[in-house]
Amino acid sequence: MDMDMDMDMDTKKKCTRFFINDNMDVLIEILKRLDEKSIGVAACVCRLWCALTRNDALWEHLCFRQLSPPREGVRTVVAALGGYRRLYTLCVKPVLTRLGKRKDMWTTHEVDLSLSLFCVDYYERLFLAGAATPPSSLIFLCKAG
Amino acid sequence: MWPCQPDDGGVDEHFAVLGYNVKSSDMAGVAQKLEQLEEAMGSFHQEGLSQLADETVHYNPSDIASWLESMISGFNPIPEFDSSSDPFLESSASVNSQMPIDLDFGSDLIAIPGKAVYPRTQPPPPEQNQPQPKKLKTSIAAVAPPPPATPLLVDSQENGIRLVHTLMACAEAVQQENFKLAEALVKNIGFLAVSQAGAMRKVATYFAEALARRIYKLYPANQQDSAFNDMLQMHFYETCPYLKFAHFTANQAILEAFAGKSRVHVIDFSMKQGMQWPALLQALALRPGGPPSFRLTGIGPPSHDETDHLQEVGWRLAQLAESINVEFEYRGFVANSLADLDAAMFEIREGETVAVNSIFELHQLLARPGAIEKVLQVVSELKPEILTVVEQEANHNGSAFLDRFTESLHYYSTLFDSLESCGGGGEEAVSVQDKVMSEVYLGRQICNVVACEGVDRVERHETLEQWKSRFGSAGFEAVHLGSNAYKQASMLLALFAGGDGYRVDENNGCLMLGWHTRPLIATSAWKLR
Repeated sequence: MDMDMDMDMDTKKKCTRFFINDNMDVLIEILKRLDEKSIGVAACVCRLWCALTRNDALWEHLCFRQLSPPREGVRTVVAALGGYRRLYTLCVKPVLTRLGKRKDMWTTHEVDLSLSLFCVDYYERLFLAGAATPPSSLIFLCKAG
Repeated sequence: MWPCQPDDGGVDEHFAVLGYNVKSSDMAGVAQKLEQLEEAMGSFHQEGLSQLADETVHYNPSDIASWLESMISGFNPIPEFDSSSDPFLESSASVNSQMPIDLDFGSDLIAIPGKAVYPRTQPPPPEQNQPQPKKLKTSIAAVAPPPPATPLLVDSQENGIRLVHTLMACAEAVQQENFKLAEALVKNIGFLAVSQAGAMRKVATYFAEALARRIYKLYPANQQDSAFNDMLQMHFYETCPYLKFAHFTANQAILEAFAGKSRVHVIDFSMKQGMQWPALLQALALRPGGPPSFRLTGIGPPSHDETDHLQEVGWRLAQLAESINVEFEYRGFVANSLADLDAAMFEIREGETVAVNSIFELHQLLARPGAIEKVLQVVSELKPEILTVVEQEANHNGSAFLDRFTESLHYYSTLFDSLESCGGGGEEAVSVQDKVMSEVYLGRQICNVVACEGVDRVERHETLEQWKSRFGSAGFEAVHLGSNAYKQASMLLALFAGGDGYRVDENNGCLMLGWHTRPLIATSAWKLR
């Protein structure tokens, strides 16, 4: 999706070509505003985009963007427990879906609950490290509808 | 499971104990005719049965044969058709979602039709025109008649009522030590239970087994196997919200009690796998002002194998705490009973804020006289900032066996009902295995309440009111669980499938989690006066 401006010979000298991949800060800013489905689609575009979508900062934004600035230390804790992308996929998204909430209706209670469940999951993985069965304390969130 | 052995040629003993005189030799013939009648009714449109719309209740059970003949002769002869395989299991699978099991025993017992042994004839709903599925849909259950080779009475609703009646009669016989009668009844329960579906069948089966153990004095071995119990409890933790509710609400109370404190010490009477503490550690890590230095003392029963289970749990929690930068210290105590502990063992330090936590542990102390008083005495010597207690909301510790039986039948029926809503079949995420393990977990409790006595009977649940007076006498007063706990709990429950059925109720500052109108567990918090 190069924003390769098509120009005719006259204007070519004046305009410069703009490749989004050379301007990653812009790209990241754009990706930050997407929802997770679009991020998934974006990840399929090319290797660079795929790598960028794995950037946890993107997912942090997705998790908490509608909330007032996140509390002190949330980032370190979430990073230690597995990262924002995992937090989103495992807890935030199912919690929001199940509670039927739109992201702009998040309150600290949903945040607290998601973080707690996330932490329990991390702890379970410590117990089951190397075992065949995956941790299942969050399995109740996976059930359809 | 429990084969039915009627007398030859004489009066059928199962009906005899219930007060009816029916010859067992007639039973097979009668049942077959009933089947024919059902089939005949099933193949008719609603209009064709208007003559049956009036009540036709038979009052003389021993003359069923001729009554049925007259009924059947009213219909045209019907062609034979194949029966599907194993109709009970199929119908129970389809019925699961529709059958609201009515567990209000009071009205059921009144409604038992004393003299009408056989099902009322009802016009089937209009959809009933296909010749294939020979299901006679009542408003409560779909039942398919079995293959003609083995005639059985299959009206599920009637049998449900009879089942409850028999369970109660059996318990009463046990209380009166009339074991011969009890034995006859318990066999009947097994037979009736098979005709039920879903939760009712499972509950009845567990209670029947427990009654049988009590009657034959085959007490359950290995009730104290802690590793097995822990494993079962993990499945219970995953399947349904009760334990999560307990942990989250207790943690919220502890978190609030620890506000502004820099050195905290939690003493956990119910350590098990330590599943409660990750969430608290995380909440402390993120609290404004940063985490306190955190000390945890876990109490657990001795393990039967070589592993030091308590230490392992402590080590994992330490790993977690280190990842999230919370200063953490751990100590594990092995004790056969909480009453073996005393305050000095905990080595409470100066300036340390103490919280004591007990999830489903205190009721076990009621098996030994003086134990609960001693433990509460020790707790008050620790001078805790808060004592969090979660217990089953039921009185399963009455002095009369029949009272305990009735209470627990009602309680566990409701609990099993709620488990049904957690899924476990088809595309559910909660696997059948998880659900079965949860049922086994509850089944062990049922067995303990019904079959055991004395110091072995440890599942001595008491209600919040009863605990209130115990805590009051020991010098504690209630701390109100705040609205945060309530909100978190409500949100948690909304996440569970069947979330509509679960209810959080606030009761004088304590939180109760229940299924529909019945509270099942209660979280309360206490501090020294």
